[in-house]
Amino acid sequence: MLKRRIGDLFIRVPLLGWLIGILIAVTLEHLLGDLLVDVLGLSKIPVLFGFVIMLKKPLLMPGVILYVLLIYIIPISVVARLSAWPANRLAARLLDFPIWFSVVIHLGLFYAALHMWSGISAYRVLTLKLTLIAIMVTLSLNVVNGYMGEFSCSHPGFMALGAYAASVVTVVLFVNDRLFGPALLAPAFGPFIFPVALITGGMVAALGALAIAIPSFRTRGDYLAIVSLAFMFIIKSMIENLEVVGGPRGLSSQPDYASLPIVFLWTIACIWMTNNFVQSILGKALNAVRDDEMAANAMTVNTRRTKIVAFLFAAFWAGVAGGLFAHVIRYVNPATFGLQKLAEVLAMVYFGGLNSVYGSIVGAVSLSLLGEALRPLEIFKWIIIPLLLIIVMIYRPTGLVAFKELNVRNLVKPKQ
Amino acid sequence: MRKVSLVLVSCLVIGLILSPCVWSKTKTIKVGINAPLTGDIPKVGEGTKYAAQMWLEDIKSAGGLEVGGKKYPVELVIEDNESKAESAVKVNTKMITYDEVMVIVGPQASSQAIPAGEVANNYKTPMISPWSTNPDTTKNRPFIFRGCFLDPFQGPVAANFIKEEFGFTKAAILYDVASDYPKGLAEFFKEAWEKANGAGSVVAFESFTTKDVDFSSQLTKIIKSGAEVLFTPQYYNEVALIVQQAHELGWNKPIMGSDSWGSAETVELCGKDCYGLFFSTHYAAAGAKGATKAFIDRYNKKYGYVPDDVGALTWDALGIVQKAIQSYGKITGNVEKDRKGVRDALAKIKEFDGITGKMTFTEDGDPIKCAVIVRISEKGEYEFYKSVCP
Repeated sequence: MLKRRIGDLFIRVPLLGWLIGILIAVTLEHLLGDLLVDVLGLSKIPVLFGFVIMLKKPLLMPGVILYVLLIYIIPISVVARLSAWPANRLAARLLDFPIWFSVVIHLGLFYAALHMWSGISAYRVLTLKLTLIAIMVTLSLNVVNGYMGEFSCSHPGFMALGAYAASVVTVVLFVNDRLFGPALLAPAFGPFIFPVALITGGMVAALGALAIAIPSFRTRGDYLAIVSLAFMFIIKSMIENLEVVGGPRGLSSQPDYASLPIVFLWTIACIWMTNNFVQSILGKALNAVRDDEMAANAMTVNTRRTKIVAFLFAAFWAGVAGGLFAHVIRYVNPATFGLQKLAEVLAMVYFGGLNSVYGSIVGAVSLSLLGEALRPLEIFKWIIIPLLLIIVMIYRPTGLVAFKELNVRNLVKPKQ
Repeated sequence: MRKVSLVLVSCLVIGLILSPCVWSKTKTIKVGINAPLTGDIPKVGEGTKYAAQMWLEDIKSAGGLEVGGKKYPVELVIEDNESKAESAVKVNTKMITYDEVMVIVGPQASSQAIPAGEVANNYKTPMISPWSTNPDTTKNRPFIFRGCFLDPFQGPVAANFIKEEFGFTKAAILYDVASDYPKGLAEFFKEAWEKANGAGSVVAFESFTTKDVDFSSQLTKIIKSGAEVLFTPQYYNEVALIVQQAHELGWNKPIMGSDSWGSAETVELCGKDCYGLFFSTHYAAAGAKGATKAFIDRYNKKYGYVPDDVGALTWDALGIVQKAIQSYGKITGNVEKDRKGVRDALAKIKEFDGITGKMTFTEDGDPIKCAVIVRISEKGEYEFYKSVCP
């Protein structure tokens, strides 16, 4: 009853209204956060909505809840509700222009909110960056495991290839390094060459993908899982034995190019391209291949080409994500890209939902934030998160938001 | 709506009632502990945490840390880095920017200490890694220190010890090529050995990869090569397998190890096969005297086992932190200024008398300290055999 009434209250709020609400809430946090924290007796503005504080000092729980209510929940819901009418008018007005204009406005507002929110502490910035990167990896794996219906285990390998390739490009060109000698270009060029480095990383990963795709797509079913798992280990031991890039000691001193706007832009590019890809004819062909390869073949789908293109596409984005990861952490070692990473990415894909761009975003964001929020629980964290996964798998076997298309026009249109 | 407002009001009331209890505006000294409590090496994290908690107990029973004639309460911020590089970076960022710690102790393993050190150095926060042996951790980072000697020192120590003790001229090395620490140490040992005994005196340089369990082909090669001693800088689980398999294949010459043998598990897994073997390490538990013995006994009584080197090194790192804060001599409350002051005090520490030996920091933030050669006794205890100083 209560739920329905609250739902009714907000049903007419368009995305634009929510974004305005969030923007106002984070502005409020900037202006009044410190004051409110003093009044409530907290030591600092709670990062990550107070989960960490509540688990460490349960005594502060009421204060934290109150803070979250006063800063986030109440302002967002009040502003969203009150601004519903003008926001709807505005959203309708924006749709008179080409759709990209409206999308850019929405993204701009969203980024502004994220930027303000993360401006409070560097920890938020870092968590946000890694979450965005997790979204990219999850999305790219979803193309293979969800849309294509195969089971690929090589994504950490692709990330490693991308991370190392991108790092080598930037370190060789812009850093005076022990391994590669003095910098070749002036550091001023760095931010401009960085996209090239990331694309190189993606290309190298795609090349690696080609090496698995050709032999394994000749066969069907579980073979890809085994071949790709082997590929992951091959990449890991290859890097361990490559002294040029530091071997097991890893490669450090990447320049600090992966700022929040850069990571955000790449993530948006990844989401946009993946969404277009899976909704294109090729994407539909991919679904046909997944459901019945024989039938798809009979309907003139070139199954092998479809599968290889999708696989290389996924590997490319995993490589780009790896490159960004290396420049956020500013250190890579082969041990990072092992079984644990694989388990993490697979969990995000299956938790969020197969065959769905929404699902990947939900899975990556929720597991990343959950992992961060539950850190104070130490070993119990590794009981709670797998338990959650099991529960999701029992009640929603395909994941939280599976088989749902991301329709941008629907998202930005007015709700009246 | 009534329910919502009810929750709201009750929160407000409880929040306001409780808030005075946590309204403490006294200056606390916060020390961050970045430890691998879960993940690949949880035992290392546990040792770190226990040592840190013992240290905190001491401070608490003294009524706080005395700095410049005033006592300040100390708070430990213990965070789990899951023995992952990215988590170690996240934890350091959180402790520095959110918790505003004055000093960080940890992370232990080099693969986490290198990226985490970058963060700490960028934010100008002093950090001591008690256990990381990779030179990159402290290199060109004025705010990063470490609590143990480096591999380029330990390799020659082991090589020279064998030379002096047994007079051998031919050595074999078996190491894990995929793991940073054994690989580095194997190379340093080889270099030192060949310097002392001439080129070609390392007659077998065999490798394997992490998680291998059968070493018979490498060991057969080593036995055939005519080596007089085997050096294997591996972790405890592999040490047991290597030593037992070597003995089964008929190897009866000495086997020498490094500080990674120092875990209590080594003897438990290896049993009688390991008795009488030597390894170089940071401290010896059996036959320890004075403060070292007091620490070991207290730890053993409290947690039920003899602490391995990580615990002892963490204890020393915290001791150094304490001394640095005290010699800095004031707490201004401005954490950035205090961090800088503590860093300068750390760099100036001379002859710190820790339970793992005397320490003085070099310009790079690495300590000059002695290594200990330990013999595994017939009772399976780690006996002090010899001390080697630089």
